[in-house]
Amino acid sequence: MAELDNIIHQPVRLQIMASLVALERGEQVDFIYLRKVLKLTDGNLGAHLTKLEVAGYIKIEKTFIARKPRTFINATGKGRDAFDEHTAALKQIIRGSKR
Amino acid sequence: MDISKEDAKESLEQIEAVHSHTRKTIAASYDSGLLIMWGIIWFAAFLGTHFLLGWVWQIWTGLCGMGAIVTILVARQQFRTAKPTKIPASEMIGWRIFWFWSLLFVYLFIWLSILRPTHGIQVNAFICIGIMFAYVVIGLWTKSYYMLWLGLVVTCTTLVGFYLVPPIYYCLWMAPTAGGALFATGLYIRLRWR
Repeated sequence: MAELDNIIHQPVRLQIMASLVALERGEQVDFIYLRKVLKLTDGNLGAHLTKLEVAGYIKIEKTFIARKPRTFINATGKGRDAFDEHTAALKQIIRGSKR
Repeated sequence: MDISKEDAKESLEQIEAVHSHTRKTIAASYDSGLLIMWGIIWFAAFLGTHFLLGWVWQIWTGLCGMGAIVTILVARQQFRTAKPTKIPASEMIGWRIFWFWSLLFVYLFIWLSILRPTHGIQVNAFICIGIMFAYVVIGLWTKSYYMLWLGLVVTCTTLVGFYLVPPIYYCLWMAPTAGGALFATGLYIRLRWR
């Protein structure tokens, strides 16, 4: 029986994970782009990313491209598994087999 | 943790919306400008072919040559700086796509030299369908399903133009249905997906 994940269930983190798992495995998304897609502030996005990183659900990589600092984020295998389990639990609740 | 069916449904809908929005905005950031440009090029080249028949090669090689140069420059710029995503294990993907297109044209010309079409419309339909085949393959490969559908639709309109439209009106048919389809898809992505 799939279980809901307390870390992922928070609405902003749910959106972050949904956006990250939409990418191919290994594909990383730019911090600024993610902020724009999810319509969040730097601080808000940064705080939630830190929680997901601490949980091991995402990986954050800071790098330089064309001499400008860029931050790229991707979902880890553990994060994808946790997200899959969370969505499975949500589907079970809708079907009525779990509450 | 206990949540209601309504909350679960709302969460799943939110996930689906973000998932779809992410893929669409990534696609829009890469492709829409180039699709619009190629739509205009094809539209102008087909109209030019209809009204200035003696200048066919100059029109197509001139416009498509310029389009190819702009495409390479834009792709290079996107892969260097503005791209919203990166794939560390596949940094060479840009070059792969470049070589894929280059080899496609080499093979199209090899096939044309073997098949020796006798009419300009045969050459044009063959190249259009070849390019649309590439759209279909890239669409499947990169999961850009709008490219897959665009490729299939323009293939169909090209076949209709080739088999059903009188040859004298072929270019007038292809200008809006092929060039227009590329332009409209690019514009739709730019306006609706960003």
